[in-house]
Amino acid sequence: MTDLVYNEMLKIIRKKRLFIIAAITAVLVALFTYAQFKHVQDVQKRLGTADWRTQLQQQIIDTQNRLNSSGIDEEWRKFLQIRLQQQQYYLDHNINPSAPGAPTFMRTFVENAIDLFLPLMVMVVVADLVSSEASGGTIKLLLTRPIKRWKILLSKYIAMLLSISFIVLSLVCLSWLISGAVFGYGGWNLPLLTGFTIQGEELNTANVHLISQWKYLLMELGLAWFVAVVVGTLTFMLSVLIRSTAAVMGVMLAALISGAILANMVSSWESAKYFFMVNLRLTDYISGTAPPINGMTLGFSMSVLAVWGIAALLVAFFVFVKRDVY
Amino acid sequence: MVKVIAVLSIIAGGCWLFGLGLTVYDQFFQPTASLSTHYRAEETTDEDHRLQIVAIGDSLTRGTGDETGKGYVGYVLDELRTKTKQPIQLTNLAIKGQVSEQLLQQLQQNEVQRQLKQADFVFMTIGGNDLFQGGETLQNLSAEYINRIKSVYLRHLDAIFRTIRSVNPHAVVFYIGLYNPFNQLDHAETTSAIVRQWNYDSAEVAARYPHIIAVPTYDLFELHVNDYLYSDQFHPNKEGYKLIGERLSSLITFTKEGKK
Repeated sequence: MTDLVYNEMLKIIRKKRLFIIAAITAVLVALFTYAQFKHVQDVQKRLGTADWRTQLQQQIIDTQNRLNSSGIDEEWRKFLQIRLQQQQYYLDHNINPSAPGAPTFMRTFVENAIDLFLPLMVMVVVADLVSSEASGGTIKLLLTRPIKRWKILLSKYIAMLLSISFIVLSLVCLSWLISGAVFGYGGWNLPLLTGFTIQGEELNTANVHLISQWKYLLMELGLAWFVAVVVGTLTFMLSVLIRSTAAVMGVMLAALISGAILANMVSSWESAKYFFMVNLRLTDYISGTAPPINGMTLGFSMSVLAVWGIAALLVAFFVFVKRDVY
Repeated sequence: MVKVIAVLSIIAGGCWLFGLGLTVYDQFFQPTASLSTHYRAEETTDEDHRLQIVAIGDSLTRGTGDETGKGYVGYVLDELRTKTKQPIQLTNLAIKGQVSEQLLQQLQQNEVQRQLKQADFVFMTIGGNDLFQGGETLQNLSAEYINRIKSVYLRHLDAIFRTIRSVNPHAVVFYIGLYNPFNQLDHAETTSAIVRQWNYDSAEVAARYPHIIAVPTYDLFELHVNDYLYSDQFHPNKEGYKLIGERLSSLITFTKEGKK
């Protein structure tokens, strides 16, 4: 079994995709670092101070003013309302939610990468894991060996899990190294708040507790990894079902992008919350941002994703074992 | 190479799995420990050389109606920057539609008080929403009704001034009075009389405290009110804000010279 997994890892690495992904991540992180740097400078210039409390207070006031404007979208209003209460909570407890530093940048980056960027990167590796063997004809060679089919697929799946872990790892390392050059490498022990729950328009702070930033980051990365694995599993299933890699990519891409669009307009269509793609932003639950549909919680989203993942895995194995290969 | 990556991946995978477990533990099984509210009202004295301006109040201080978004605060700032080389820090805490009671509540917040404590000057507009209530008051201009809302307002105003003075005894507070935006509508005489009386009573309250200066704007808008009003016929437009800004900035030079 180990040999099989090793063999599959060898195939993935030979294709050089992992390095391309690392390169893309490096370029993007550099871009975002610069953007963030510009933003920080701009805020300091506008307010004439680097004091974060003044900046946060100003943000709160700006939000309050936006809330008081007429003709504001109901959806957006709710979002602002909750963010406002959260910012006020941070301010009241004298905690800076965005103290500069590489860990803070990484946190923001993970939160924004989790629903599109990271799944895309995963897709690049996973999409052709099985379909390329089918379209290239090598699948026959693979299946003529005296090894059970499910073992072959399992070895591919384990190799996929390893690659996903590696992608997340490279994301972490690169964003830390690159952003740290600008913002400094420290800030792991900053306190952050988590445990906000959202009830309608109110932010419930009963379970709020302090955790260090490194722990917070580890939690977010765990969630990001989980999301990546689920998306990877779905792509894996499609790769088994469809021979054409381009088609696999196309279907997954459409699903992911539709998720991003749906999240902005599904609030009135409640059963849409059972789609996997509106549940991808798991980190929002940790930070306490309003979910796209009322009543969605971390437990709910994780269960939905897990069900989709397990179903996809079952389908993939069932089809792969039963299918005629010719 | 492959082995290195594979081992790294296994270690990383373990890490992420641990993170996931931590999340589940932290979010679902964490005993509800109440967060200690350890607000440290620390003083920051390193920015003493700056001229600190804090603006509080309603939409007028916010600058609603000025398409450049500056409002009178912005024009005062522009003017001050030409007069002094001292770096100026402005904190605009005004919220649209705010009434005196809400301002009073806002002033109880820790952070707002910290800002106020550092202020050299405080700009403030309040009362427009108390009196006009978005134009609703025009339906009922009876003296009895006006007196009722006014007495509530004056009580809040007194509390606002008292709060500011207790937080910061030295800052000069410019309390900017009301103008009559309905100067050219029906009942102009009645509304003008109400605004005049309102301003007078407010100035009386301001006079109870040191360094609180009631700045009139009534006269600025008296003659050509429609030239200075935004299309909502209530807030000043750019020109209107410039007028208020000019008046205020001239006062600040005077007090600065007076101090020296």
